[in-house]
Amino acid sequence: MDVQVTNNVLTVTVDESIYPEKVLLKCLYWYSDTWQLEIDRVHQGRLQITIHAKDDAIVAWEPVSARLKRDLIDFKLRQIVADETRTIRELIVAKAFAYYEPEETPLSIVSDPVGFDPTSV
Amino acid sequence: METAIIKERQTRKFKDVAYFRSEETYTLLPFRFHRMPDGREILVNEIGDYMVVPSGTTARIINREINNNDPEDAVLYEDLVAAFFIAEQAVPDLLEVMATRYRTKKSFLDSFTSLHIFVISLRCEHTCHYCQVSRVTSDKNKFDMSRVHIDAGIDMMMRSPARQLTMEFQGGEALLAFDNIIYAVEKAKVAGEQHNKQITYVICTNLAPLTDDMLVYCKENNILISTSLDGPVYVHDKNRHKPDASSYRLAVDGIHRCREILGEENVSALTTTTRLSLDYPIEIVDEYVALGFRNIFLRPISPYGFATKSVNKNKYETSRFLEFYKTALQRIIRHNLDGYFIREDYTAIILKKLLTPFPVGYVDLQSPAGLINSVIVFNYDGAIYASDEARMLAEMKDFTFRLGTLGETSYEEVFYGEKAQIISEAMLNESLPGCSECAFQSYCGADPVFNYATQGDMYGFRPDNAFCQRNMELIQYIITLMEDDKQVEKIFRSWITGKS
Ligand code: SF4
Repeated sequence: MDVQVTNNVLTVTVDESIYPEKVLLKCLYWYSDTWQLEIDRVHQGRLQITIHAKDDAIVAWEPVSARLKRDLIDFKLRQIVADETRTIRELIVAKAFAYYEPEETPLSIVSDPVGFDPTSV
Repeated sequence: METAIIKERQTRKFKDVAYFRSEETYTLLPFRFHRMPDGREILVNEIGDYMVVPSGTTARIINREINNNDPEDAVLYEDLVAAFFIAEQAVPDLLEVMATRYRTKKSFLDSFTSLHIFVISLRCEHTCHYCQVSRVTSDKNKFDMSRVHIDAGIDMMMRSPARQLTMEFQGGEALLAFDNIIYAVEKAKVAGEQHNKQITYVICTNLAPLTDDMLVYCKENNILISTSLDGPVYVHDKNRHKPDASSYRLAVDGIHRCREILGEENVSALTTTTRLSLDYPIEIVDEYVALGFRNIFLRPISPYGFATKSVNKNKYETSRFLEFYKTALQRIIRHNLDGYFIREDYTAIILKKLLTPFPVGYVDLQSPAGLINSVIVFNYDGAIYASDEARMLAEMKDFTFRLGTLGETSYEEVFYGEKAQIISEAMLNESLPGCSECAFQSYCGADPVFNYATQGDMYGFRPDNAFCQRNMELIQYIITLMEDDKQVEKIFRSWITGKS
């Protein structure tokens, strides 16, 4: 992860095989209310994030880049869990709803002419 | 070939650290995590169980570094297995159990719409500055619900698959149209018997027009009373302006009379938090204690209707509300520690989600969202809205969430029609941007009406969404309080079991 600050703009360049675009998008979503953001593919396999203030104010970038680095790692971890557990998650949800059976007992009394009581089975 | 057969010489010396590092010994199960400001991590699994772990634990879990042979990790490893964060097999043995637990959490959906709100009249004798809807008028014909619409509303209510229904009468001031309430209750009783429904009746009222005859009727028909009490007199009366009288006095007298005749458990009170209330968290809680209440519901003011126009009086920062809420909650905890049981309802809802496997069908905090699925509103003029907030939006001439008209629109069109389908796309927080990755997903909810009213679209934009900011902070706060103080955890548990 390369971090640079030039002309009041923070650029972070990452290896796409480690931080794929979807990880960047999920992470940067939470920055998009405060910052102007861009993601570009600068070289083969390298993605560059560019961040600048919406109002051109001078920014102390140190805490922003520290937070961003930590958040990128956190979102990468989330992505690993999501990818590894996708099938199990789908199974849980599918089974949960497939088993739906409304609890309904017959409202009328079931007659038992041959000694077979279906409600006791 | 000989070299291949040469085995490493067995020795009795201590094994290398790498030996203890378990290789892919476990499978991850679906979970999400949230980093707290102090670095600790809150892990929440797919079925809503949570654990608070030290910083860096999530990465260690994912990197398969938790080793049950290591004495330092043994307890954590067992907790992670027991709480469905990791499994020792590729497909966990307990998949069926997890599916059943998931189903149970979502089982509030089974009964579909159970709460039916009848806005029985829009008339009101109060002139509250934040009120979105009511009218000071004596024009009954224009602002009371017609009998035709009441009949159509009851017919639609009977179509609900739910066996247990709640019929809630709201206003304006509902008691001003008490004749309408009697008509509706009598009709619903007959229809309920025919359709095998159990109906709970609730009247939401400021209690000012309450008479003894009304109380007798409520008693005979097991009608519950839900009133508003915003705190001490100087808060309540400023919030709820009533020409020539103290709204507070009328409310408090009414509460006493209701308790006497209906019983304490059949009267509840809600607070509406306004900008003024934010300065009095302690006083508001103490007022509820002084009046003998065992619960208090600290609700933020809704951002709808006239309230958004009254910018100076009503627009307040979510962070100010959070500060207010935390101070009030601390005060409530203090009362409990001193031996007086009183519960805060919003926290209790979140606690039930955190600590029990049961479903919590609270309209504002569920996914799929509560509007249409759990609640439907029949307005005084026959219009059908997806929620109470949706009709307040309609008072500002925005009919986005209007689903039809009583007597004209069919049940199918209202509940499964095009509009309901469009809204339902934004009803699942599991698939909303931001929420889909959020650890608090199973404790939180989706609120398309709130998103639309505050941000202009039903999906919302989480980074500056007040609903998100509020819930993320409160859920984290409640977990932190329990983690850091076992006495508080004990109190919180008593709030969901009712046992102190
Ligand atoms: S609204 Fe916010 S707190 Fe709630 S689930 Fe979504 S992201 Fe999480």
